[in-house]
Amino acid sequence: MRPSALGLYASLVYAFLHLPLLVLAVFSFNRSRLTRWEGFSLRWYEGAWSDRALLAATANSLTIAAFATVLSTVIGTMAAYGLWKKRSRWLTASLSVSLVTPEIVTAVSLLALFQMVFRVLHLQLGMHTVVLAHVSFCLVYVVMVVLARLRTMDASFEEAAQDLGATPWQAFRDVTLPMLKPGILAAALLAFTTSLDDYVITSLVAGVDSETLPMIIYGMARRGVNPAVNAISTVIVFGLGILIVVSQRLEQQR
Amino acid sequence: MRRRHFFLGLTGLAGCTGSGKPRLNVINYSDYIARETLTGFEREFGVELRYSAVIEGSEETIARTMSGNSGWDVVFPENRLVQPMREMGLLGRLEPARLPNLSHLAGLFRKPAWDPAIEWSAPYLWSCCGILAGEPAGELSRWQDLWQPRYRGKITMLDEPSEVFAACLKILGYSINTDSPEQLRRAQELALEQKQVLRAYLNTEVRDQVVAGDVWAAQLWQGSAQLSIDQAPELRFVHPAEGYSLYCDCVGVLAESRRRELAHEFINYLYRPEVARANSAASRALSPCATGNETVLERGEWFQTASGSTQRLRDRLWTEIKSA
Amino acid sequence: MSLRRWFLLPAWLVTTGLFWAPMGIVLAYSLLTRGPYGGQSLPLSLESYQRFFDPLYGEILLRSFWIAVETTVLCLVLGFPLAWFISRSGPRRGMYLQLVMLPFWTSFLVRTYAWVFLLRDTGLFNSVLLALGWIEQPLPLLYNHGAVLVGLVYCSLPLAVLPIYSTLERLDYSLVEAAADLGATPWETFTRVVIPVSAPGLRTAAFLVYVPALGTYLTSDLLGGGSTILIGNLVQNQFTTARDWPFGAAASLILMVVVLAGLALVARHREDIL
Repeated sequence: MRPSALGLYASLVYAFLHLPLLVLAVFSFNRSRLTRWEGFSLRWYEGAWSDRALLAATANSLTIAAFATVLSTVIGTMAAYGLWKKRSRWLTASLSVSLVTPEIVTAVSLLALFQMVFRVLHLQLGMHTVVLAHVSFCLVYVVMVVLARLRTMDASFEEAAQDLGATPWQAFRDVTLPMLKPGILAAALLAFTTSLDDYVITSLVAGVDSETLPMIIYGMARRGVNPAVNAISTVIVFGLGILIVVSQRLEQQR
Repeated sequence: MRRRHFFLGLTGLAGCTGSGKPRLNVINYSDYIARETLTGFEREFGVELRYSAVIEGSEETIARTMSGNSGWDVVFPENRLVQPMREMGLLGRLEPARLPNLSHLAGLFRKPAWDPAIEWSAPYLWSCCGILAGEPAGELSRWQDLWQPRYRGKITMLDEPSEVFAACLKILGYSINTDSPEQLRRAQELALEQKQVLRAYLNTEVRDQVVAGDVWAAQLWQGSAQLSIDQAPELRFVHPAEGYSLYCDCVGVLAESRRRELAHEFINYLYRPEVARANSAASRALSPCATGNETVLERGEWFQTASGSTQRLRDRLWTEIKSA
Repeated sequence: MSLRRWFLLPAWLVTTGLFWAPMGIVLAYSLLTRGPYGGQSLPLSLESYQRFFDPLYGEILLRSFWIAVETTVLCLVLGFPLAWFISRSGPRRGMYLQLVMLPFWTSFLVRTYAWVFLLRDTGLFNSVLLALGWIEQPLPLLYNHGAVLVGLVYCSLPLAVLPIYSTLERLDYSLVEAAADLGATPWETFTRVVIPVSAPGLRTAAFLVYVPALGTYLTSDLLGGGSTILIGNLVQNQFTTARDWPFGAAASLILMVVVLAGLALVARHREDIL
């Protein structure tokens, strides 16, 4: 392929990737609820802003994502560090299989678990079950990202620290952890966005107080086109987009 | 450090939504209650109502509560699901003494066939399933009309096996509650024939496609259909000549509920005449407290609980239709 | 216990408690029978598995497998030239890569929903084509196999570009030039040099696309209009509407087997994943 043809092809693919979201964003400012343009209006944003269920779901989504991110990042970073110098066949296999398990299978298996175990323990489904479920699928992403970062690092720094009398824990905390920071941040970001975006698993294991934003969006989409969905989507697209860009800028500055 | 503050802030944000007030957790379909019913009840009783409208199909009510530890207090099962939910031990017994407003129930809803003594559930809203038609559809009065080739690609049926089978069975002149495998198979043949002209199997999401003109006619529940007619008065709702299915969504308290007293207060509140009217107006489904809807009942047939074997056969036949 | 073991313990607990234990329960359920009103009950039976010998369910499985393969092939074919373009565009590589990933960071549901908005009869494509006078009747773009495929490819393409790019980035371009100097045609260079070098990336890409496509049910629901049924829909349906948990459990495990079979074919090196 000649460069110009390749460039043309690339712009077409970029258009394919971005136009749908752009169109959605543009029409979220449309006064009409139909696809005809009838003038600029913020009514769908106002509608979304005054929707109590929507705001509650946003708060739920953020809370769940925050807890799931912290837990999976801590556990995942520890695991990646543990796997760095010596493989663990069982854990690697477990994580690999959980990575390749289709979401719907993860979802039904967690539902079966929670219904069974929680009935015995007299606990209810709710936000904590959703957080647990999210930790279980975010974990492998964190391990992947942090491990990739560790593999680019030189283990001899840590060995040197230990030779100089540091305990393994001190060597980890004072030498490896600081160098790992960008990787951990990237992993946390991935976990956060994955958790925010999940519908399939959340919708099955959700109980009281665990209705998330994707569940509301799905409900709205299933009820027919409500331009409020376009408005919320636009906010999500740009909100997450800005979050990503800013975090990457921060990382590059380091 | 700043990140930690960020996360703490997020958790705090979520914490703000909780308050010290007593709580009642209610799960229902979307667009199925008046907004002022929720706020009115909260204000009057000084409680927090957690109202979740995530239920999309009637079977989901069972799926979401069958573990017995779902956390919900008040549910709205369809009439044919009351018996299974009772036998699964999911529904708690209602206490008539706490529900004086049930005296506002009218006509046959004082003694509904599925729960004659209103022991487990009270009728909340009812309606039927017919056809929402737009102007391009032209003359349209029967289910059979939805098989016409001129509608190719312009009509939809519901993505609910019971309703699609109900329409087909009515065309054939059978009961919508038939247990006969023979009759169900013949209904399936009809559905397969119709799939050739069908655009898709869609639930309420079809509404704005009818409003916009993408779809000319759609099988739909009357309440949902009325909501679109309010938006676009040129649309109309057809009660098919062959007959149609009737359903009644009922309200009950889950056996697992730890707030039975408050749950009863809420149910009783729903039957205040002005509240019942508001809910009916907001959902456009019919209130069991209202009179004057006898004409809807005439050609309708109530759904009944399907036996396990019938349900399984129907599920299989439906999978075949979808796979075709 | 060594520090390393302490570090592995939490992850070990999570994978055991939240992955293997649930899978074990699913396995157990798949061997039970449906209760009178749903759920699961005794006696033990293999009936749920036997049902898969029924051509009806076999066909569903095959259809899901086929659509996953179609999606994978399309993503690789569309993604490879793009990854090549990015890897050859010098200092702007980072920006171009960001542009690919940006839609991926946004909500999956939103991305699928955007296509409903574009493809419906009164959607953007049909409106524009009608306004231009190129067509007189709106084209039936939504609710068919093509729409589902577009949705799947759209959502998975970034996942395919990334790993291909990371192998191409390491590709020594002088190899390509050397092949050309030695008289290889561009096609020969491509098949003999570029493809073998980027094979690990292609394998990972194929895999990242194949798995979610195989288990999809939202895309086929929203863009397929419920007129077709895939294995993901079947599983979801058994756990929500039909409440036949044993059959749903068996279907999930069979789906797992298909995934793992694909994995065995695609990834010969386990390091590709972790």
